[in-house]
Formats: sequence, structure tokens, C-alpha cells
Amino acid sequence: MNIPQDLLYTNDHEWVRVDGEQAYVGITDFAQDNMGDIVYVEMPEIDDEIAAGDQIAVIESVKAVSSIFCPVGGTIIEINDALESAPELLNEDPYENYVAIVKMDNQDDLDQLLSPAAYEKLCAETN
Amino acid sequence: MIHLINPSTDPYFNLALEEYLLMNEFDLNDYFLLWQDRPVVVVGRNQNTLEEINLEAIRSQGVEVVRRLSGGGAVYHDEGNLNFTFIVNDENRSAFDFARFTEPVIETLDKMGIKAENSGRNDITIAGKKFSGNAQCRFKHRLLHHGTLMFDCRIEDMVKVLNVSPDKIVSKGVKSVRSRVTNISEHIKQPVSLEQFKDLLVQTVRDGGYLQGDRQLSKSELLEINKLRQKKYISWDWVYGNSPPFNIQRKKTFPWGTVDLRLDIKNGLIEKCKIYGDFFSNRDVTELGRDLTGTPYRQPDIDHKLAVMDLNSYFPAANPGEIEGLIGDGLVIK
Repeated sequence: MNIPQDLLYTNDHEWVRVDGEQAYVGITDFAQDNMGDIVYVEMPEIDDEIAAGDQIAVIESVKAVSSIFCPVGGTIIEINDALESAPELLNEDPYENYVAIVKMDNQDDLDQLLSPAAYEKLCAETN
Repeated sequence: MIHLINPSTDPYFNLALEEYLLMNEFDLNDYFLLWQDRPVVVVGRNQNTLEEINLEAIRSQGVEVVRRLSGGGAVYHDEGNLNFTFIVNDENRSAFDFARFTEPVIETLDKMGIKAENSGRNDITIAGKKFSGNAQCRFKHRLLHHGTLMFDCRIEDMVKVLNVSPDKIVSKGVKSVRSRVTNISEHIKQPVSLEQFKDLLVQTVRDGGYLQGDRQLSKSELLEINKLRQKKYISWDWVYGNSPPFNIQRKKTFPWGTVDLRLDIKNGLIEKCKIYGDFFSNRDVTELGRDLTGTPYRQPDIDHKLAVMDLNSYFPAANPGEIEGLIGDGLVIK
């Protein structure tokens, strides 16, 4: 299971990459592996304002429909358009292919996230 | 696990009920439900509804259309179909184990002397023919598994309403996969009614030691579920508007010329409308296309819009109704 050391994680298998006040949000390798082949991604809209914990995307895989939650609050400033026509990118490289970029309202939201080590432990327990 | 008794045959209510039980954070009980719908086509979460249904058959047979929360392809329900739903807590992400939920069905049929088996990822088959399609939906730490059980469905009707129209539609939506289907009733040795089959299935789940009791919906639950039904499941926005973006091409030859119409639809609205053809016109038809932009792709909205336009200047030789019919033809929901 690939768990990059420069990201933060959630209990729900999302990752966050912090770049100043911007947070890139995506799903982890564990999540994509668990879902299987991804066939559709319902994306948020640019300028959507969201609170930490709100749903930002819905992913349909051959196994199930799963909701994706945004661990930080703020405004969606960019979405990964490529996923609309090529949802399988999330299977191929879940860390290179973010879902959306959020301009954070409050960096304190990041304090709730898991370190790579803590996330690795969670995955080990889940398996 | 609680056996929730739900006598409603309203497809919009029943899907709202599933969502309510899956997403209600104040009730984390596990649930098992058996339920039926009056005739309806249920499309998958990310399907383009117009690409999946035959409008003419839907209209002439009075079949309704609804979108469900889970993914996959379009299915048809009628009084001969039984649906089952499990909603369970799934803290440790059980990797979407389908067999765990289809097992009671296979076991019940086994008691009736019918050999059924899981096939592919989502189906249960008898003698290689599908009678049950299954799908799952996860929300936070809860998982919903539901499936159809064709007991004695009108398969001819199913074929008609799911036989898509010849319009050229292109989208990234999830496509349905056609399967050879069968009814459970065709394989039964002694006469068993759908009601008896339903009781046997409940008994199997009970014997498995999962069920703690039965209950019906409370008044306050009914109120909440009906609110969700009204707000979401019965709305055009959810059933049609929520389709993935799609393009539709419709070409028709009239005695006065050929019209080739191309529409881009996004979020249920006409995003782009281009009109080509070899007909004579007094006015640039690109204007007409531009004026239709932003109109909901729905018959009454299109009729309303066209009513105030001078269609005669664009198509001087057209008979009344021809252009309205072409742009509107194949549209649904009055």
C-alpha cells in the first residue's frame, strides 16, 4: 500500500496536500484498491463553499457508489477536469490525480488529520 | 438487525426510505427490508436517463422513471419483482462483499429446490440466466446493499421500456449491460406465491440469527422520508437533470428539407444548440440555437421558449408543429 510521507490523511481514506493556503484533496491508494475499477466521478463545482466534513465528490466503481468528504473547509478553486472523461486515473495514480483544490478558510482543520504513520497504522488495522 | 416492514409500492418513497436509513446519523441500527414498486424503470446513479429508456413505451404503458442512489445499469420493477435491501454498519470497510448479502437469497431458493448462484460481480443467476441484479452504496461508515428479485415479472414489458430509442446520444454516463433474464417462478416445482417466497426469505434471514425484531416506520420517520421524496426523488432535477453531460443528435428529412439538430445538455440544461440543414431560411438559424441555450431540456420549457420565437422566419416552409416536434421529440415529463 502506497502511503506518501508528504501528505496528511483522514480516517475515511482521503489525502490532503498542503500548499500555502491551498489544500489538494484526493483519495488514497487504499481507497481506490477497495473500490475497484472506477467508472464515474461526480465532481464539485468551482466556487462551492464547503465546511470540513462535507461531501465533495461521489465515486462510482464497479463495486459501489461511495461518497468522498472534504477534510478541510473553504472554497473549491479548482477541480480535476480530467476525471470527468477518464475516471480510471484515480485507479492508475491516486496521488497524482487530486479531486479538487480547496482554498482553506481555517488551517486549524489540518490539526484533525492523520500523519502518514498514523494512517499506515489505520490501514493495517482495517486489513 | 431489524426487519423493517414497508408496504409502500411508491418507487420515489421507497428510494427515499433507503437514503433515509443509510444516511440518518441518529439511527445506526442495521436494517433488512423487502419491498415492491409499481411499474417503474430505475436508472443507476450516473446514467443518462434519456439514453436508457424508451420514451414511447414508458408513456404508452404508464411506467414511471426514477434514479437510485447506487450505481450500475437501468432495471425494471413491476408487481412481479421483489426488492431486498440490507443497510449495515461497516466500520472496517469490508471490501464490498456481495456474497454475504446474496447468500440468504441463494439459501432460500435452495430450500425450494432451485439452484442459484452468484455470477460476475453483481448478478444472481439460475441456469445461467439473471434474475437478480445487485448494487451497493457506502455513506460514511454505513453500507447499503440492494438487489432485485424477478419472481414473475412481465419480461415483455421490461424489454419494451428498456429498449432505447434510436436517437444518437453520446455521454460519459454509465451504460447498462443487457443480460438474458429469467423469473424465479419458471423454475418452481410446487406452486409458491411471491408472498410465500417473501416469507421464506425473511425466515432464512431470521434463521441466520441476524434479525432481532420487526417494526414499521413511525409517523415522524414517514414525514421525513416523504419530505426527501418530494424534494429529491420525484424531482425532474434528480431523475433527468442529474444525468451526466450528453450530446444528442436528431436528424429529420421533411418535404422542404433536412434538419440536423445537435444539442449539448449539461445539468439538464441546453448548453449548446446547433442546427444544420439544406432548408431555405430567411434568418440565420444560429440565432435560434443561441436563444435556446440555457433552457431546461424538458418539453414544457422548450414549448414555452419556442412559442415566443418567430419560427416561421427560420423555417418558412415548415408546417406548424414540425420544428417543435423535432426539438422536443423524445422528451419526457410534462
